[in-house]
This record gives sequence, C-alpha cells and structure tokens, in this order.
Amino acid sequence: MAKVIVKDLHKSYADNEVLKGLNLEVQDNEVVCMIGPSGSGKSTFLRCLNDLEVPTEGQVVISGYDLSDKGTNINLVRENIGMVFQHFNLFPHLSVLQNITLAPTQLKKSSQEDAEKMARDLLATVGLSDKADAMPKSLSGGQKQRVAIARALAMHPKIMLFDEPTSALDPEMVGDVLDVMKKLAADGMTMIVVTHEMGFAKEVADRVVFMADGQIQESGKPDEIFNHPQSPRLQDFLDKVINV
Amino acid sequence: MKKWQVEVVMLLAALGSWFVVGTRAQAKTYTIATDTTFAPFEFQAKGGTYKGIDIDILKAISKREHFTYQLKAISFGAAVQQLSADQVDGVIAGMNITPERKQTFDFSNPYYTSGVVMAVAKGSKIKSFSDLKGKTVALKTGTAAATYAKTLQSKYGFKIKYFNDSNNMYNDVKVGNSDACFEDYPVMSYGIKNGIALKIVSKQYAAGDYGFAVKKGKNAELLKKFNAGLKEIKADGTYKKIVDKYLHSSESSLTGETASSRTFVGLFTQNLGTIGSGLWMTLELTVISIILATILGLALGVLGVMPGKIGPAISSTIIYIFRGMPLMVLAFFIYIGFPDLIGHGFKIPAFVAGMITLMLNEGAYTGAFVKGGFAAVDDGQMEAARSLGLPYWKAMRKVIMPQGIRIMIPSFINQFIITLKDTSILSVIGIVELTQTGTLIIARNFEGFKIWLMIAIIYLIIITLLTWLSNWVQRRIN
Repeated sequence: MAKVIVKDLHKSYADNEVLKGLNLEVQDNEVVCMIGPSGSGKSTFLRCLNDLEVPTEGQVVISGYDLSDKGTNINLVRENIGMVFQHFNLFPHLSVLQNITLAPTQLKKSSQEDAEKMARDLLATVGLSDKADAMPKSLSGGQKQRVAIARALAMHPKIMLFDEPTSALDPEMVGDVLDVMKKLAADGMTMIVVTHEMGFAKEVADRVVFMADGQIQESGKPDEIFNHPQSPRLQDFLDKVINV
Repeated sequence: MKKWQVEVVMLLAALGSWFVVGTRAQAKTYTIATDTTFAPFEFQAKGGTYKGIDIDILKAISKREHFTYQLKAISFGAAVQQLSADQVDGVIAGMNITPERKQTFDFSNPYYTSGVVMAVAKGSKIKSFSDLKGKTVALKTGTAAATYAKTLQSKYGFKIKYFNDSNNMYNDVKVGNSDACFEDYPVMSYGIKNGIALKIVSKQYAAGDYGFAVKKGKNAELLKKFNAGLKEIKADGTYKKIVDKYLHSSESSLTGETASSRTFVGLFTQNLGTIGSGLWMTLELTVISIILATILGLALGVLGVMPGKIGPAISSTIIYIFRGMPLMVLAFFIYIGFPDLIGHGFKIPAFVAGMITLMLNEGAYTGAFVKGGFAAVDDGQMEAARSLGLPYWKAMRKVIMPQGIRIMIPSFINQFIITLKDTSILSVIGIVELTQTGTLIIARNFEGFKIWLMIAIIYLIIITLLTWLSNWVQRRIN
C-alpha cells in the first residue's frame, strides 16, 4: 500500500476554496517535489498531510492511518511524519541540542543520554557538530534549517515533509540545506518537498507535481515536467521561473 | 509530586484550615464591632490597643455579665453594614438610636446622651448657620450629625461633602476645603482639647441617645446582658468613673504619649509596633495574593489561548467581570454581600475576603497579559512542536509557556507593584494594613503630614525592594 494516499482533498477558508479536490499517492522511498506559483495551495496541501490544517472534505491516509477518522491518535501519526518549515521554527529558548532532544525525551522515545547521543550523531550528519550547545539566535539561516531537519529526524520519521525549506535563506546558504536533503533522499527517505528550487526537483525528485489554482495540473517524472510540459499553464510557469 | 507541587498543596491546605479556624473561633465568643476613629468613645492608643468610653463600658459590662467578645475596629459605616449582614454580633460605636435604625436593629437602653454641634476652622468668620449660604459643609456618613445637618441644608443653602471618618472631615475643614463640620459634642470637644485647630460655634442640637445595637431579632441574650450590666455599672459608680476619665483628661495621659514624641523620629519610634504590624499585614497580603493571582492568571491565560471556543469564552468572561469591577466594590461584595446572600450566619474572615478580592482582581489583570503573552509567541512554535508529535499540553508547557512567560516578565513586575499598592484599598473592610495603620495613628494624634509621609516612605522602600528582586529574577531568567 502506498505510504501517503490523498483522495479528493478540499480545503476552504470561509468562502475561499484553496484546495479543489486533490488526488495523490506517494510510495515508499519516493521523493515528490511540488512546484507551482505562489498561492496555488502547495503549502496548504502539505499541512493537510499532518493535520496542521484540517481538510474541509476528502481523505488523507498516512501509513494506513486515516486522519479524518476520529479514532486516529494524531500525535502518534505525527511522530512518523517529520516536518521542516520555511521559517525553521526552532525553539529559541532551548539550545540546539535541547531542540533536538525535546520530543524524543518528552515522548519517552529514549532516555536523556540516548537522545543526546543521537542528537550529536544527527548534528554530525547535517554538518553542525560544533553547534550542539549554541542557542538558535546565534546561528545563520542555513544552520538553523539544518538543525530543524535534525530535530525532525530525531523522531525517526517514516516520511519527511518540507515546506519551502530554502525560501527564507540567503542564496549562499541554500546549497548546504539541499545537500542534507539530497543525502536523505539517497538514504531512501520518503519525502514530499514543496520548493521553488527547480534544479533540486530535476536532480532529486522521482516525481514532480505541478499545482495551480488549488488543483494538480500535471505530474510526472522530472524529464516529462521540465522538458515536455503538456499544459499551457505549466509552460507559462516554467518560462517565468527558468528564464529569469 | 514535584517540590513546587507539594508547596502549592501545602499553601492551599494552610489557607483552608485558616478559613475553618477563623470561622469557628468567632462562633464561640461574640464579635463586637466598633469605629476606629471616634475619640473619646473609641480610638487607638499607643501600641495599637483600643480605648475609649465605649470600649471601657463594654469591658466593664462583660466582666459583670461573664461573656467574652472579640473587638473588631472598622469604619462606622462598615460596622453598621456588617451588623445588618450578620457578620458581627453587635456594634458599640457611639451609635444614635433612631427610628430608621430600629427597623433593622435592636438597641440596648441608652448609655449616653449627646447633641450635635457645628465646628469651624479657628480663624473662620462663620458664627451661625445663616453664614453657611453657598459654603461647603463636611459630614461623616451615617452619623446623627450628618442627618441633622441634612435637615438644615435647604433652609441655609450649603453644599455637603461626605467623609468616612472624623479625622479626614476635621482636616478638610482645617485646610479650608470645607467651611464647617457637624459632629457629636463630646467627640468634637475632645478633639479640640487634644489639638484639632477647630472651634465649636453652636450650641448642642438634636440631642440623641447612644445605644448598643444587635441585629433585629438576633442575640437577644447579649442585649439582655448588656442592659443588666449597664444598670450595674451605673449603680456602682463605674460608669461615671469611665465617662469622667475620658471627658475630663487630656489625650496624652490616655495614650501615654509625650511632647517629645511629636517629632518625625519620635513619632516613628513611638508607633514602631503599630506600623510594624500594619506593614507585616500588608506584606502578608501582598505575597499570598501575588501567588494566588499568578496561579489564577496563568490558568486564565492558558484557557484564553486554548483551541476551540469554550476556553477563551470562559477566560474572557472572568477577566471581563473582575477587571471591570472596582477593587473596593469587589471587596465589599465578597466580605459583606456574599455572606448576606448565603445567610445561615456564614462568615468570611476579613483577611480571607481581602485575599480572595485581590486574587480575583489582580488575577484577572494577570490573566489578560498572560493571554497576550502566549498569543505573542509565534504560531510556528506551536506548529513545530505539534508536528513533532507533542500533545497540545506538552507543547504548551515545554515550548509556548517558557517563551510567553519571558515576554510577560515586565508585566508581572508591574502587576506585583500594583498588588502591593492595592492592599491599601482593603482597609475599607477593616483590615488593618499599612494604610489603615496610618489612619488610626492620625486619629489619635492628628499628625497627618508626618504620619502620611512616613507611610509613603515605607511603601516606596518596599516597592524599591520588590523592583530590585524582580529585576534580579529577570536577569537570572534571561
């Protein structure tokens, strides 16, 4: 069974319908990149996958758990879904190490020592071994985002959601974050990435989904999407983002 | 349980037992209320004890009739209100027996007869009622003198200004804000003899009788004992001795003060004990109220930012009610109104009522800024915490609250200082804290400027200390 199943997903804010019936399946180990103009509903869609936004209609099934089912413990499902935000959302009152160990220790996933050891390993993976005791405010944007990724990974998620992870970064910071994400993809993580980094999508994605006006307009392998766009909407979008 | 949880439980247990003990202790002996500043009938002597004709008569009668009582010195208005609300068993406070009062109270046989006089500032040109046209007359609420003056108002065309105690009324005339005041003759003449710069310019009018009062239909036995005792002390000469002692001797011989004690330092050392206990009461009230208000405020704040509609609605309603009500109204409501509503002789000790008042009022203010503080934490923080699988309350406690509270620290310090100052308002329900201590001392020695200066300096000192402490805590947290 697919890892993520989305069926006829609708989301409205009052009279404004942001998502107009989306269907998507993501398989194990698959990396899906979602592209599209601002306001097309990409982020809202992603946030529906871990219930940060509650869909108005439709079904989201993660690893067999139906999120719309009242009996589903959303906290348990979320433990399996890591999320990385555009603005990092590190906890400013905690050190880098504490940011990473908070959830595993609070949710009794591991002892304090084990959690700290794991946190240091994760920091090594994202290239920030020396920042364990630093406070978030002393880090650069790129460093913050790598800590945020480590924090999400500390719960050993089965799926990672990335919500425009590099959009708030200075250009020279983007590479470090993308490298970490590439490494994750190579290790077989199931990933859904909302991004404006077309290069990353081309290189890493198994599938690229193009969204506009609250609907999936087109989806396929990177080569199909970037080199053989079918709809005029996608052609227009690619013209704008690639030929700057 | 963690250490702080144990502490909270112990504190609540202590408050609870206090409440029970407080209520029970009063049930065994009579509680009799009196005024605070009505020399020579009642006034505070050096060291904080009460003296005066009323006090000595009551003491002599209780000895003859073998009953015990607890004296409760509050303002005259509060004493009368508390008697009608069944909070006290009797009132002896130079209270005139009037037909209106007889509707609500049962009176003893008259124990003193007195008339009303008009007094003006020493240099004043006012000689009779007809000079009062367009002038302002100071009156003390609820007194026979006030009732009498009111009947003159339309004929002589003066304005009326009300005060809650005699001393403020005298001072208002002395400094010239008001032009005259009306007061019972023995009280006025005693005050003048002891240094009030006023003069009596009328003869005695509307002579009335003073009586000891109980609530209508209640405490008949106490009233019977009072009447019997009064008869006895009149017969054996004790009564005359008491009245003569107060009407014909100077204040210093009664209060034990000397002329040298009228300097600032002298007044301070003289009243150190009284001021100290008032200060202690203020500090006790402040500390306990700050703790309780903080707990309530945090609860209201958390409720206020909860998802859904019910929590925020409850929080806003409570904040709306208790923040919107003047502290004094709330204090009266809890101390006098609430027991009145419940009935069955239910009583709340003044201290507990004061504490609850401050907790609700300051808690509501605290709740408002705590809510704001939590709301000021970026939404992304909650989302990040929840996305890691943390349940709502854990996310609240580990992520939102630590950040929110940091934002709130300056507001907390501010609120602590306000709480300290607001304790002074509780003097209206008879709590003898620092401000009330000042009123009482001045009622005895009329040294308004020096004593208020003293009290003001003490408040400033504590507030300075509190600010230092808060700043130190703030530095530690950041």
